[in-house]
Amino acid sequence: MRRSMMTTLLALALSAGTSHAAPVWTGADDQPTSPLACDGAPAAAAPVAYNGGTPAKAPERKGKTIKVVDVPKLVGIGYFNSTSQGVKEAAKELGTVDAKTDGSTKANIDDQITLIDNYITSGVDGILFSANDPVAIAPVLKKALAAGINVVGYDADAEPDARQWFVNPATPNGVAKSLIDTLAKEIGEDGSFAIVTSTFTTPNQARWIAEMSAYQAKCYPKMTWLETVEAQEDNILSFNQANTLINKYGSDMKGIIGMTSVATPAAADAVTQAGQCGKVSVVGLATPNPMKPYIKDGCVKSAILWSTVDLGYAAMQALRASADGTLKPGDKTFKAGRLGELQIINGSQILLGSPAVFTKDNVDTFDF
Amino acid sequence: MSLRTLLRHETILALVAVVLLVALAFQSAQFFTGANLLNQGRLMTEVGLVAIIMTFVIITGGIDLSVGSILGLTAILTGVFWQNLGLPLMAAAGLAIAVGTFCGFVNGFVITRFGVPPLIATLATLALYRGLAEGISQARSVRGYPDWFYVLGQGNILGVPTQLWILIAFAILASVLLAATRIGRSIYAIGANEVAAFFSGLPVNRTKIAVYTASGFAAALAGVIFVSRVSTTRSDMGTGLELDAITAVVLGGTSIYGGRGSVIGTLIGLVVIQSLKNGLSLAGIKAEGTAVLIGLMLIGAILMTTAFNKRRA
Amino acid sequence: MAVLSQASTLSTRKPQNSRPFIARLMTDYGQECVIIAAILLLFVAVGLYNPRFLSTSNLTTIFSGNAYIAVAAIGMSMVIITGHIDVSVGALIGVLATISGTLAVSGYPVWVAWGAPILLGMAVNFIVGWLVAFARIPSIVVTLGMMSILRGGLISITGGTWISGLPKAFMIAQWKPFGLPFPIIAMVVLTLLAAWWMRNFPFGRSLYAVGGNPEAAKATGISSERRVLAVFVIHGAIAGIATILFATQLQVIQSTVPPNLELTVITAAVIGGVSILGGSGTVIGSTLAAILFAAIGSALIFVNVSAYWLRAVIGGLILITVLADMIRRRPKK
Repeated sequence: MRRSMMTTLLALALSAGTSHAAPVWTGADDQPTSPLACDGAPAAAAPVAYNGGTPAKAPERKGKTIKVVDVPKLVGIGYFNSTSQGVKEAAKELGTVDAKTDGSTKANIDDQITLIDNYITSGVDGILFSANDPVAIAPVLKKALAAGINVVGYDADAEPDARQWFVNPATPNGVAKSLIDTLAKEIGEDGSFAIVTSTFTTPNQARWIAEMSAYQAKCYPKMTWLETVEAQEDNILSFNQANTLINKYGSDMKGIIGMTSVATPAAADAVTQAGQCGKVSVVGLATPNPMKPYIKDGCVKSAILWSTVDLGYAAMQALRASADGTLKPGDKTFKAGRLGELQIINGSQILLGSPAVFTKDNVDTFDF
Repeated sequence: MSLRTLLRHETILALVAVVLLVALAFQSAQFFTGANLLNQGRLMTEVGLVAIIMTFVIITGGIDLSVGSILGLTAILTGVFWQNLGLPLMAAAGLAIAVGTFCGFVNGFVITRFGVPPLIATLATLALYRGLAEGISQARSVRGYPDWFYVLGQGNILGVPTQLWILIAFAILASVLLAATRIGRSIYAIGANEVAAFFSGLPVNRTKIAVYTASGFAAALAGVIFVSRVSTTRSDMGTGLELDAITAVVLGGTSIYGGRGSVIGTLIGLVVIQSLKNGLSLAGIKAEGTAVLIGLMLIGAILMTTAFNKRRA
Repeated sequence: MAVLSQASTLSTRKPQNSRPFIARLMTDYGQECVIIAAILLLFVAVGLYNPRFLSTSNLTTIFSGNAYIAVAAIGMSMVIITGHIDVSVGALIGVLATISGTLAVSGYPVWVAWGAPILLGMAVNFIVGWLVAFARIPSIVVTLGMMSILRGGLISITGGTWISGLPKAFMIAQWKPFGLPFPIIAMVVLTLLAAWWMRNFPFGRSLYAVGGNPEAAKATGISSERRVLAVFVIHGAIAGIATILFATQLQVIQSTVPPNLELTVITAAVIGGVSILGGSGTVIGSTLAAILFAAIGSALIFVNVSAYWLRAVIGGLILITVLADMIRRRPKK
């Protein structure tokens, strides 16, 4: 009995001991950052030559009905449910596409690779993907290109030469600017805030956090980045983590940023249930439907996200166009059906546009 | 008696496998092609390596839930040793495998020395090893390996995926070890009745430690192969691998209570699961539908064998 | 695993009135005492470091945060005490939550939305229990299969849609009678009820006999098949209650299962002192363990442990607790 208490004590002492050395953890990745100008002046983009891949010996697909599979990171979450809606919408509109969505119930790189591999064997004409890992997915996508399959990514990219086009929902520095600017408006330019993210290994989130950190340091040096906590893709855990942050910092924390469509509503709920509405602001990335109750009762002023339906829609349009040969290397813009002309940046990325901001006034016009 | 029932389950399962392969071949023209089958072999190598040794573990009456985490830790260490410590890649991979093997040894040591039930011991190390992988990697991936390294996971030797040769060699070695050596007989004896095995002078603890160490080695080897196949490292690699491996072993007729089972059974179990996943996908059934069918088949197969054995007994 | 139980000499906990209270407490509830000590130690250590850790609101977060896990672990403990295991409970809770939420937003009365997961949980686990007890398939096989079926079935049927717009009356986990959050009340009441039942009722006590030594139990006229079936059905009902706490906490229900929920529930049960060999342990221990996990999670944020190392620290603590327990038990043998 005494020995067991001793060991527990030792473990606790140990865990408390290591803590002092730890610097403030932001959850950023190690890639270089390029924060935008504080006043929103557009950065001069250097033109980049086409750097995507090309399917080898692709058969003539113009005008023919093509079979397309959409492989998101995982199925069963609102985000990819709505991108899948967009894919179906575009397929219906085009009329010559037989599209379906198939994914693992877990965001697992191996399951995703195996699924894509099976679809290559089964002989599809096109693959849409949102990569769980940009590098790990590359070999199987290159295999698809080698088999003459058209490959287009959306949401989360692979290495450029492993796919033809990537529909970028928003540039990372653009996301960072929107989030930090919105936060600064709500908590002031000297407020302190914390972040609730999914996992450290999710590339998109790590990228955005890195850009946020750089942009905040450049444009709002007086703001304090308290810490970043991890909450998986688990809404109860996100809720608990947000609660703990509120308890830990009390009135020292003015805002919480949710980095995923799971974390943001959960953080909003934590703030609501803790009776901190108006004292702790919540901003973040989120789909509009789950955010409606919090936006309507005024606890959350705004949530940010690109239209995930449009994202899937644009990806499907881009795939059809590249199969038809109407979207080809060197193009500067791309006409994506009802979305109109979209800009092409960084060689082979189709930019969806600016993220949408959901507020009390417009949230009811969105349904996804 | 026990050998006969064993053969019984494997024969049933082998028949199921044959029927399945034929049915799937009719469903999709792309299924029964050399290229597809070899490719499936490539995809199932990591689970296969782990499942083969998991068979040993389960026959001793134990279980190893930490294999997925060991795979993840080995993957991370391969990258970290190579990039951050500047070791030659060969040495880095070797050292990482050594650490993974040591993780298996720790499992065995905790289980035998402290008498912690295997399920709990490996449940704890599942969290610990995964946590170490996360902490060491700091969520960074290591990429950009030299081309020769990809031969292991993405290349072919004599037209057959490189790692499939490793799996075959591993399977043959393991079958012989289990079926025809003293060590194999000790493993069965320990699983059938540990107390009796102890009193008949068998080195119970030493054998168990060896089995868990081997399990760590298999998971570590699978980790390096996995890195070579997907060309990057991530701390969440191999999550859920333990359940896939256990499913294959149990489907293959190894008794979860220990004392009974074979490597051949596990291999057939692996083939059945992999061809179901692949064949159903080719036939246009989505991943979640396949999951439901695999679950039904696992219960159904064991139900059939159990019912069959009851009637004979 | 079963082989080990032949060698094990762990006894069931019988009231031994001849010895002093403290000694009795230690032998009967040793593991529970260790966990309480660990929780208190954590409270003191972290409370000294940052007094806000012990604020009412943070204690509420700690005690209610893992309440649904603690409740699910009650049923899991009973299953493990009878010598079985259930790895499908996470998937089951995910499925039941989706059904419950769908009923609530489709305009059914809230009691239907609350009752459905309990009844369906019992129905699903009746099948599992029957396959385990009467068809004699090892529980890990049945529940592995069931996990795959439930997970896949959930997505096949819902297509992965989230449920939002839940009615206010449905949100029972947000009730605060007497200022105490409902999840805490449910957790405490259910734990005490289950502990009392398992200690003082013949049927409850017979579970230990079934898990400890099925042959002997049979010889004394206890039908282990029927008891195992009953335990799985009870476990299903409790999983249904856990589902209600889980689904009514937030205004959105994800149609995915929280990752690794089954492992967390099993870990709470075994760290709480439920012997995986069957035949010993209490549900009080498992509830305390679930609280300990929540406290550790909270403490790590309060003492600024780098989030990268969080899981390693938790894994290390679990291993140490298990080793400590084995060392503590050793002299008794």
